[in-house]
Order: sequence, then structure tokens, then C-alpha cells
Amino acid sequence: MPEPSRGLQISRRGWLFASLVAPLFPARAADSLIVTFDDNNLHISSLGLHFLQGKSLSRLKDGSTVEYVATVGLFRDQFVTQLKRPAEYHFFVSYDIWGTGDVFAVSTPGPPARRATNLSLSGAETWCLERVVVATVGIARDQQFWLRLELRTVPPKLSSVLGETGIHVNVIEVLTPGQDERQTFTSGPLRLEDLIRTPRKGRAG
Amino acid sequence: MKRAWLGCLLLGSLLFAAPQDSDNNVNARYVVETVIVSGKGWTANLQSETTDKISTSLLHQLTAIIGQKLNPASLDTLAQNLKRELSASEVTHRIVRGETPEQVRVEFEVRPARATLGMNVNQFLYDSREGFNGSGEATVTLQQHVFALGLVSNGDWLPERFSGLVARYEDKHVGTDRLSFKFEAESFHAQWNRATVAAMSENPADVPALYRARQAFQPTATVVLAKPLTLTLGARIERFVEEGPAGQIETANAVITDLHFHQSTEGPGSQQDFDADCSLHMATRALNSNYVYSARTAGVRYQFRSGKHIVTDNAWGGFITGLAPLSDRFVLGNSEYLRGWNKYEIDPLGGNRALSNSVEYHYGPFQAFYDAGAIWDAGEPIVVRHSVGLGLRESVFSLAVAIPMRSGRVEPIFMMGILP
Repeated sequence: MPEPSRGLQISRRGWLFASLVAPLFPARAADSLIVTFDDNNLHISSLGLHFLQGKSLSRLKDGSTVEYVATVGLFRDQFVTQLKRPAEYHFFVSYDIWGTGDVFAVSTPGPPARRATNLSLSGAETWCLERVVVATVGIARDQQFWLRLELRTVPPKLSSVLGETGIHVNVIEVLTPGQDERQTFTSGPLRLEDLIRTPRKGRAG
Repeated sequence: MKRAWLGCLLLGSLLFAAPQDSDNNVNARYVVETVIVSGKGWTANLQSETTDKISTSLLHQLTAIIGQKLNPASLDTLAQNLKRELSASEVTHRIVRGETPEQVRVEFEVRPARATLGMNVNQFLYDSREGFNGSGEATVTLQQHVFALGLVSNGDWLPERFSGLVARYEDKHVGTDRLSFKFEAESFHAQWNRATVAAMSENPADVPALYRARQAFQPTATVVLAKPLTLTLGARIERFVEEGPAGQIETANAVITDLHFHQSTEGPGSQQDFDADCSLHMATRALNSNYVYSARTAGVRYQFRSGKHIVTDNAWGGFITGLAPLSDRFVLGNSEYLRGWNKYEIDPLGGNRALSNSVEYHYGPFQAFYDAGAIWDAGEPIVVRHSVGLGLRESVFSLAVAIPMRSGRVEPIFMMGILP
């Protein structure tokens, strides 16, 4: 009879296999979200959620504008069957070179276009997420659903093809376009009646 | 007419598509103090120094942002232009604090590429009389070596419509930046206009024969004598397969020399560019050439830019002695010289004497031009012709209507496409 603890041990070969296979599953990094409800709309809390990081943060600190796209999807089951069509939100973030400390500016394309400046890193993240609002029309209070938030950056545009001597296409650049940075956050199963209630903040479009 | 409207829409979309990045970037309120470009082993602060690594026109674009409010979208465009011109693998840009508060420095870092693969469309022109003309090529760049293979179909530049293949090898740095080498090979099939064939039958003795195909090899070396003066020396070895069942082969083997001068000067808020060029093609029996001739050309071009205003004058002339093949004879009445006139009406066989002057005025994308020129053969009377035109030009896209000035009827020519 095998020892009970034997089944919990992972061999060195197992660790090696796991380390090789782990990057193949992008969902592995899906962090959980805190979702709140204001009787009409779902809101996503920025608590513990950080997306201004990595290469995009370096691009920001180099003075570039980084466009983020937040996509929120609601599912009937564990991220297979859609409950509502995913909603997209665009944000333009920039870093103030002459700001006091690390300060950011954020804007949305609109309409209506909105803009905020002199925000800290976490303040900028909060500002963006406060604009991510999902209407709950058609969802019963006791209906189970799952929520997925995907945040991705829009990679820098490809080189312009127009030059002084004609049109030029860099084939290598076209075949190997810049990678966007993606972060996925999930929550579920959820029910409206179970969610933390917040005062009404705004309406989803 | 449908094509004209399509062209208008395309050009319009280019003219009115403005980048929005400056609205979204908080640093757009700061003024650019200086621009610094650095590559492998070199750095240039463009506020106080210049560099020979970058062309004058691109230097002008880079220095134009100094003293202006920062436009982050324009930095992407400048980085792309640097990348293309320097065949770099990547050009990144960053904004850092300047020495004065509220001012920023823009730093471009150029990373050289080992190899690039490109597709180029160098010309694509629709002319309401000549139809479509185009040329494109695929290029592979390995450090300073460029290999290119392209396709051409052109009824605009020469008395013939020529279609075929071009191949090119170029070494931009033969031991030194002052010396470059180029080898070009061409193989074209020729088609002749009825007017040319008719003119040929009227003067069979005075002009060279029509051909159905031609091939050429042209090795040249260019040396920088003293910046900005360059000298190109080389040879052009060309063979013609003449029309007719026998398909007789004729050769035109010539030595080539070309002297080129370019100077650009900048004043407060303005820029002046001056180009001068003179060339000699000389084909002799000593080079085993059937055609014996010499072609001399000279041209000057002056351009003045101030804000959105650009005035350009382009004067050019040439003469041929001896009997040159039709592909080497001068042509006026195309998309470049004496626009609006029909080259087959003026001189269907081309001429061995030509003079041309073109004055252009641009305000932003709007352009107006006045062309004057004459083409003739030695001993013939000189008839000077004029034409005027209006159009739009954005980047390399051009849309123009040219009207030949003559008594009687008005026959405007519509031109649209990519014109370098």
C-alpha cells in the first residue's frame, strides 16, 4: 500500500515538465478581480490590480503615449459561452516628464472625451478602471456568471510606407509586428445578489 | 473619370488624416530644446552640430521641431524616416528633461540592422493619355550591400513604352564612405506608338532603327570629391534587338561621367536647396559600339522653402552629337518635362537637342506649375512651348491637371499617382 504522502511529491522530472509547459497556458496568470454592483452596472475595483508595468511603463517613461484597451466579457459558464457581447474601452496614458514625482495623464477618446492629469501610477490605474462599467440589463439577480477583464496595449504603429522616393514596405517588420502586452483578470462564479453593493456611479453605454 | 475621383478620395484622406497623439500626451505642452541622434559610435546634438550620417532633407525635418511644442506623433514619423534612411533594425526615441524647465530633449537611438528585406513602389502613375506606368522592386540590404530586383512598365520617359526586369547591386561603402559602387542590369521589351512608327518611315535615314528589345549593363563608381561635390564614373553596355525578322543586334557601349553638386542652406524660418548636375555619355568604336555618339546634359534646380510655401525652379538642357539609339534621345511632354503636351505630337522620335524650365509653387498640399521647353533636332527651327497646371501633392502622391498653352483647342492632361 502506497504511503499517503507519496502522491503529493513531485519529482524533479515533473518540475522540469511543469516549468516547460507552464508558459503555454496564458490563463495561468489570470488574477482574480473584485467586482461590485450599483443596482444597474458592474464595476471593477482597482484594488490589487496593476497593469501599468513592464515594457509599457518603460515606453511611458520615455515620453510615449501608450494606448490601453480594456475588454470586459461576461460568460454563462467558465469562459466558454458568452452572456453579453464584450465591451471595449480605450485609454491613452502618458507620463509627465516635468511632473513632480512619477505623475501620469490619462484620457479617453470619447465621446465625450475625458482627461485627467497629475495622477500617481495607482491613481491612473484607478481612473481607467472607474470608466469600465458593464450594464447588467438582462441578467437575473440569482443568475450565475463569470467575468473576464483583458487589458492589452496597442503596439506602436508600423513604419509609414510613404517615403520621399515612393512607397516602401519593410517585409521583416510586417512579418514580425510589435507584440502587444496582455493581462487577463477573471472572477466567477458571481451572482448579482451576492456582489458588494456600491452607490450608483454611472451608466454603461 | 472614376479613377480621378478615386484619386481625389485617396489624396483627400491623406490630407485630412491628422495624428491625434498630441491631444493625448501630457508632454505636448513642452517645447523641444534639442534633438539628439545617436548610432553605433556617433552622436549628434542637432541644436549645435550637424552630421553627415543623415541626409539634408531629413536633418531639416529633425531640426524643424526644435523650438516648437512637442508633437509625440511626429517623433514616430521621424524615427521611421531615420530607420528607413539608415537601414536600421530599430530607431527608438525618448523624451527627457531639458536644461530649461518646461523644455524637453528628444533623443533618437539608431540600432543598425544586419539585414532588411523591403518592397518598394518607386513610381505608379496614371496619365489620361499614356495610361498606367509603374515600377517596383524587392530589396535585400545586408549592411552596406543592397541587392534589388524589380519590374518596370513605363510609357512616360522615353519615345517607347518599355517593360521588363531590372536588377541592381550596390555597395555604399567601398572601404570608405567617400566611395560607392553600383551595378545595374536591365532587360526590356519595347513597344512603339503609331506616331513613332509613322515618323520612322518618313525619315528612315536620319534616325536610328526601332528595336523590339534591349538589354543593358551599367557598372558605376561614385566618389565624393569634396562634399557636396560627387563624381560618378562608369560604363553602359547596351545591346538592341532590332525590329524585323532578322532581329539584327546593334550595340551602344558608352563611358559615363556625371558630376553632381548639392548644397542646402538654412536661414531663420527658411531653407534653400541648390542642385547642379552635368553628365557626359560617350559611345565610341573603341568600345566596340555600333552607335557612335556623345550626349551631354546639364541641369540646375533651386528650391526655396519658408513655412508652407515652396518655390522650385528646375532648368535642364542637353544635346547629342552623332547617332544615338532612340532610348537615349531626349523627350519632352511627359510627367516631368513640359507637362500637358503630347510627346508624340511634339517629337515622336525624340530629339537630339532639348531645353526645359519648370517653375513650381506649393502652398501646403496645393501646387501650381508653369513649364516651358523646346525639343528639336540639329538644324531644325526651335519652337518653344508652354504649359500650366494645378494640382495637389501630399508626400509622394500627386494629382495634377496640366494644360498645354496653344491657340485653338484646350486639351488638358490628367495625371495621378506616386511621383517621387
